[in-house]
Amino acid sequence: MDSKDNKIAERMGINRRNFIKLVVGGAIGTTLSPLPWKITDDIAIFTQNLPWVPVPPAGEYSYAGSLCTLCPGGCGIKVRKVDERAVKIEGRTDYPVNPGGICPLGMGGLQLLYNENARFTGPMKRTGERGAGSFQSISWDEAMNILADRISGLKAGELAAIDGNLKGSTMSVVIERFLNSLGSSDYIKMQSSQETMDIAANLLTGTRGSVGYDLENSDYILSLGSGLLEGWGSPARVINAWSIWRSDELKGRVKVVQIEPRASNTASRADKWLPAVPGTETALVLGMAHVIIKEGLYNRDFIDNFSFGFYDFETAYGSYRRGFKTLVLEDYSPERVADITGLEENEIESTARDFASASAPVAVCGRGKGALYGSLYESMAVLALNALVGGINRAGGIFINDPLPLADLPDLPTNTSTGSDLKNGRIDMAGSRSYPFSQSLFNNLADSILEGNESPIDMLLVFSANPAFTAPNCGKLRKALEKIPFIVSFSPLRDETSMMADLILPDHIYLEKTDDMICPSGLQYPLYGLSRPVVKPLYNTRNSGDVMIDLAGKIGGTAGDAFPWKNFEDVVKHRVKGLYDAGDGLTDFDGVTPPWGTAGSIASPGYSSFDEMWEKLVKNGLWYRHLDRGRNIETIFNTKSGKFEFFSSIIESALKDIDVKILGKNASNDDICMPHFEDISPEGNDSFPLMMYPCELINLASGWIPNPPYLNKTLFDDQLKKDNSFVDINPDTAAEYALKQGDSIIIESPAGRVQALVNLFEGAMPGIVFMPLGFGHSAYDDFLRGKGANPNEIIYGKIDPLSGQNIWWKTPVRVTKL
Amino acid sequence: MKETEVKKHRYGMVIDLDKCTGCGTCMVACASENNVTVRADESDKQRSIAWIQLYKINNGEKFPKTQTCFFPRPCMHCEEDGNGGHHPPCVSVCPATATTLDENTGIVSQIYTRCIGCRYCQAACPYHARYFNWWDGYSYFKPFPDGMERSLSPDVSPRMRGVVEKCTFCHHRLMRAKEIAHAQGRTEIEEGEYIPACAEACPAQAITFGDLNNPKHKVSELIKSPNAFRLLERLNTKPKVYYLSSKEWVRRLADNYLPGEPVRGIND
Repeated sequence: MDSKDNKIAERMGINRRNFIKLVVGGAIGTTLSPLPWKITDDIAIFTQNLPWVPVPPAGEYSYAGSLCTLCPGGCGIKVRKVDERAVKIEGRTDYPVNPGGICPLGMGGLQLLYNENARFTGPMKRTGERGAGSFQSISWDEAMNILADRISGLKAGELAAIDGNLKGSTMSVVIERFLNSLGSSDYIKMQSSQETMDIAANLLTGTRGSVGYDLENSDYILSLGSGLLEGWGSPARVINAWSIWRSDELKGRVKVVQIEPRASNTASRADKWLPAVPGTETALVLGMAHVIIKEGLYNRDFIDNFSFGFYDFETAYGSYRRGFKTLVLEDYSPERVADITGLEENEIESTARDFASASAPVAVCGRGKGALYGSLYESMAVLALNALVGGINRAGGIFINDPLPLADLPDLPTNTSTGSDLKNGRIDMAGSRSYPFSQSLFNNLADSILEGNESPIDMLLVFSANPAFTAPNCGKLRKALEKIPFIVSFSPLRDETSMMADLILPDHIYLEKTDDMICPSGLQYPLYGLSRPVVKPLYNTRNSGDVMIDLAGKIGGTAGDAFPWKNFEDVVKHRVKGLYDAGDGLTDFDGVTPPWGTAGSIASPGYSSFDEMWEKLVKNGLWYRHLDRGRNIETIFNTKSGKFEFFSSIIESALKDIDVKILGKNASNDDICMPHFEDISPEGNDSFPLMMYPCELINLASGWIPNPPYLNKTLFDDQLKKDNSFVDINPDTAAEYALKQGDSIIIESPAGRVQALVNLFEGAMPGIVFMPLGFGHSAYDDFLRGKGANPNEIIYGKIDPLSGQNIWWKTPVRVTKL
Repeated sequence: MKETEVKKHRYGMVIDLDKCTGCGTCMVACASENNVTVRADESDKQRSIAWIQLYKINNGEKFPKTQTCFFPRPCMHCEEDGNGGHHPPCVSVCPATATTLDENTGIVSQIYTRCIGCRYCQAACPYHARYFNWWDGYSYFKPFPDGMERSLSPDVSPRMRGVVEKCTFCHHRLMRAKEIAHAQGRTEIEEGEYIPACAEACPAQAITFGDLNNPKHKVSELIKSPNAFRLLERLNTKPKVYYLSSKEWVRRLADNYLPGEPVRGIND
């Protein structure tokens, strides 16, 4: 400091005393002024309005009603909107399938709509290496030209499609028609247990309809591994039925018996849990039939008047045939069944007696969510058990419904294409000499492609499916996909299969499009659901139905002739005309008179012209009939005998063509035509001493629709930890391998290996490793990718006799601690 | 406050564990209704937020006697602090008056803009019903997938980092129901006009919601059941969330019973 400064300081009198005065005075002054309060307030307001925390714009509220098509359940939903934004999905109380409730997946649907990272925002073509996931945006015109040019250049039989749309839906009809019009029959549907059940129903009743279960009216539910609380059938409907069974009025009068190797939600909440060894359920059902027949507890009226093949009989050629009664009495004593299933003899007997003495018992099957194939003989056994107690088309039993009266599309032009592949048989061999009853055999696809040097198909179209992730033994399928020269994905989502595609033509997501549903899975009354767009499409996507119709027009020739409609909605309208012509059927639901109920009169249709009906259908999203209890039981069986056939004449007449190899080693000629138990478990051996059983969780989506992030919130500590999923192992089994809670293990089968963490669970059957389906995605975004292990990677099983479908519930494995 | 202005309503919830199937729809409905954030790693339960959390318990029996049961746990909306004080445990410790017990509805509120993020309430809550925002959940920076902010509801403000949040019994739905009633010239709302998103969504109809002060409401009837109980009853926090279970082992796990001590119902 120089002297000049000192002088100034002296003149101002800044010494210690004055300095303190200044500071204290300043402090008092500032405190008394509004300044500090203003600053504090401003800071508070600033931190509450951090510019990067969004303020959701307000707007006008409205509700848009529609139908959820994320699974075959077909629940009614209403979407709350604020102006054009959808902000919440809720269940509809004016929809008969799910009175008010929906499942967690349906509830999280907006996260599928709005997650830009998991969706395709427009058509794309592959730029990088196959599977690397690098794509380049193209215009719809360019995409359609690439597709049309390639298809026009194909030879017959080189085009195939994998379709995950629901059976009978207009979308699936359009896809199959498109293929057929080009001379290809390789239309391959994704798996479902309903498919297996429908084959069984056709073999025993001659009706090619759909099987429904009257759960709401039943008082004894025997479930063969069906995850009633894990998302089986229509999840919200089944859970609602569960709450009816547990209501104060019925408490204690409805019994649920769950047959499953693990204490799942269903098994835990059931009145009785019977852990039969997986794969032996058929024997258990036949053991119960043994007790019911032996003790005379079966429904004589039904057996004597409406069934065939129960008693031994003589054929027209004079040969003697063993009937179902003899088969069951001779081969399935409780003693033997106890031995096979690992259950107690008296448990089998008491369950059989309780089942037969209940006033409205029903047996249901379809493992887990029912999203994969079942076992054909098991399905037949379940139908036979229901028939034994007279529970076919009776309140509280099984309903075999005719197909909906939808109008057929006009026949394909007869001048079909050059060298039709239709005659040459399908690539999956469904319907062939070896597998005469199946319409699609998903599991044979990979084998057929991998067999030769070159893939027999040149081009694969994939709709609403993600087989690279959801197919059992998906590693093998991915190898097959790699071999196909050109793959087109119509998926709106960046799933594993799309990542392997060469061309992406993204569909709208379900909330943006018109779609329909024929008879939701397991529903007992006929219902047609129509879903309508609740928001305008967000991105440059197109309804695949419209794309197929445009494409057919572009290709021209037989394909063009096959699609005389302007757009997809016209095809839907064409089919719905059949519902109108049927004359009856309701298009609104008052929320009070359930279609399965006994109370109340049935309203008249309430429409007088097709346009009026269509308007109502669009508004309410449904057409349905009340449960047809008055229908004469004599008219429902379309078999040779006109009755329910314990001894299937359809199988018998097909027998001369069937390659007996696929029927299993134990079957005699008589047995083949009847429900019987075949031990088809893969032999466990020293190198693979344990079994892996894939289990399904209601709060973990395992199909082609991935888990929305909200559902990850609902996963428990013993299901997912960071990037690792858990497997349930019984503590005794774990002790044999010195495994502790949380240990990291490798699970290895002949098909591959995956890594997971150990969860010790007393409710797990010893000797079995239970792996949840739905983890282990490698595609999508950070919220899904790389979390846990996918059991489909290691599934390795045999083939189900007669149907030729794959067995996915028993894989021999070994575990090694890491 | 004058004597005549006693609590008019005590909104409460009864969850029937015999009906609950553990599907988790209540959690998803709640998250979607209330703009609850999601992180890529939701398995980190110390960081993830769930206003209603599903807990899984089992009876510990050996195979094949094992059973599991589920506990959905919203905020209990306690009425006392357990020591006779007429404030819930969280309210009595909040230095910022960010959380209060509404005398007219019985709802324990949470005002984010007042919260200073000290997390005393989180420590005081015996039910782990309170969650702290370690990040701006919904922000234009990256913790959230692109485009997802379009599904945010304007009824509930998205929270910023540094504040505590919890279940409000969907208080905004009460406001809306009152507005509708007011527009129709009514001063009171009817049973069922106001229910939280979880109760509405439950496909098993396991959750019943209503006014515990109104003997005509179903909840008042249900809590008289011998199967009714509350979580950690003996802390005396007087929660307004009740549970029903016919299984003794479930009721036993709901409180700190001594070995061999008989399980008591709330009516005992």
